[in-house]
Amino acid sequence: MTKSGEVHPIRPGIDASYEAPRRLAAILAADIAGYSRLMTLDEEGTHARVKRYRRELIEPAIIEHHGRLIKTTGDGFLAMFDSPVEAVRCAIVVQQSMVGRNAALPRDQWMQYRIGVNLGDVIVEPDDIYGDGVNIAARLEGIAKPGEVYISGGVYEQIKNKLVCGYQLLGNRKVKNITEPISVYRVLPDHATLVRARSGRTLAIILSVSAFASVAVAPAAWYFFASQPKQSAARQEQAPPQTANASKSDSAAARQSAAPQVALIPPALPSSSQPAVEPEMVTLLGGKFAMGSNDDPSERPIHQVDIKPFALSKFPITVGQWKQCVAANACVGGVTGDDDAPATNVSWSDTQKFTEWLSQVTQKKFRLPSEAEWEYAARGGVHTKYWWGDQIQPGMVNCNGCNEAYDAIKPTKVGSFKPNPFGLYDMGGGVDQWVADCWHKNYQGAPVDGSPWLDADCSSHVLRSGSWRSDPNYVRPSSRNYYDTNARNQTLGFRVAQSL
Amino acid sequence: MGVGRIAFLAAALALLPAAGHAQGKRPGKNVHLYIISPQDGATVKSPFTVVFGLRGMGITHAGDDFPNSGHHHLLIDVNASLSLTEAMPHNKNYLHFAAGQTEAQIDLPPGKHTLQLVLSDSKHYSFNPPVVSKQVTVTVR
Repeated sequence: MTKSGEVHPIRPGIDASYEAPRRLAAILAADIAGYSRLMTLDEEGTHARVKRYRRELIEPAIIEHHGRLIKTTGDGFLAMFDSPVEAVRCAIVVQQSMVGRNAALPRDQWMQYRIGVNLGDVIVEPDDIYGDGVNIAARLEGIAKPGEVYISGGVYEQIKNKLVCGYQLLGNRKVKNITEPISVYRVLPDHATLVRARSGRTLAIILSVSAFASVAVAPAAWYFFASQPKQSAARQEQAPPQTANASKSDSAAARQSAAPQVALIPPALPSSSQPAVEPEMVTLLGGKFAMGSNDDPSERPIHQVDIKPFALSKFPITVGQWKQCVAANACVGGVTGDDDAPATNVSWSDTQKFTEWLSQVTQKKFRLPSEAEWEYAARGGVHTKYWWGDQIQPGMVNCNGCNEAYDAIKPTKVGSFKPNPFGLYDMGGGVDQWVADCWHKNYQGAPVDGSPWLDADCSSHVLRSGSWRSDPNYVRPSSRNYYDTNARNQTLGFRVAQSL
Repeated sequence: MGVGRIAFLAAALALLPAAGHAQGKRPGKNVHLYIISPQDGATVKSPFTVVFGLRGMGITHAGDDFPNSGHHHLLIDVNASLSLTEAMPHNKNYLHFAAGQTEAQIDLPPGKHTLQLVLSDSKHYSFNPPVVSKQVTVTVR
């Protein structure tokens, strides 16, 4: 197997007067585990897949995180970033996207990257980079398990308080051709891995806490790693919870610089422990993301948006929740269905009555998400057409043509399909979801700070998600639609958000 | 071609059993739904305005359940038959004018397109028998 980050001797023939600049950089080295085996199985197919993933996933992810692709090898690549946080975030996005892409395939066809990230002083040539720093990244990649990200102690020190994730210290490792042993941390992927890791000796869990989640945290990119408070309590001594920091004065700056592509997911508390009225919320840390797509003129131009931390309801607002508002004489009736079905037949103006009422009874400010927040949340840190990949797959969304079974008359109850990587349900299909923004036919002139795009007078507002009656093209995270502000329709529902 | 489609649509609708569809409200008498402009066969430059004409019934806001009234839907390049049991779809081929609009500015890519109006009741169900306009074909330059 080719090693992508092998240190090359200084190239012969280089002009002696030319001195390549040195600089500190975060180096990301990746290769595909079992590449030779995959090539044996299907040489052309594997080659085509690797090229496709590189084009659709790797290159955009690197650009998105302000990195530079230095070179690619048969099965791997080497990238350089100014920021270790961005480098690790990019690694997480790649791994998480691959999980989505593999989901549809039989196990023997899975393509899994091993990724190592190191922070080091390197020599930068126009078309390559050299030095121990590169070599260590390559060694980390070499010892990483398929689908995992290993980072050096240097990277860990830089990101531990910024990127909300679990980190497991694997100890000091002696690696080939490097004199000093290097400390190796494993970025903890998901809940299952966390449980497995608990048997390990040293487990550092960085806890960061939102206004809601009083206990646990998840690198949402990889689902829940939160739900059992007792397990984290047992391990918290390694790294005290960051709760206090979150409210200190430097928190805004820290958050800004961190802007992780991960989310904090409140623990799945039994509903009885919350006031019945308050929707279950998922906290999202926000950050920069590329909004829009080239799939439809209304989704152009693709533009970068900076999302501030916010919380979004885990499910669309249900009939049961709507009825509470009706019972309080704050909302209109006529919303029918089972209590756990999404509330439908509501106009944008109706949703404003609901958020007003909810804010009042909970003494917390609820609102509709902005269109940018909605798309950020729906993408779940992934840049493919759907969060699991580019093709529609059964069991993922409720739409007309997405699954074998289809009920044309009404939507399924909320949470019937898989959550996205941020732990949000029904972000696509199910019900059309009102957002705060006025309708604009494309993104020319759209705000880039994640705020809603409002006009003095808007006769129609934006809908996201598509509904159970939409075809698969309308349930993409970037798909846009609109409806008259004061009109109701059986497919129109919504979810609520909170600023943090 | 437009006439053939209309004939097909009408035939498809006529074949639908009228019984068992509580949704299908009866429209008014002598109702005529039509596209005032553009004219059938016109060549237009996008975006262009489509003006809706209705005689014999009134236009209201969706959700307002006044008798003998409804609101417009503009079907673009739709040749599927109309369902009387399901509400009007809502997507780029089925534009809803639920606020009671009587004209719309639409933006279509160059080429031939068909336009057709369908009137629905306050809950977006088609009347029975349906109130539909003649389908017009336009060429977008």
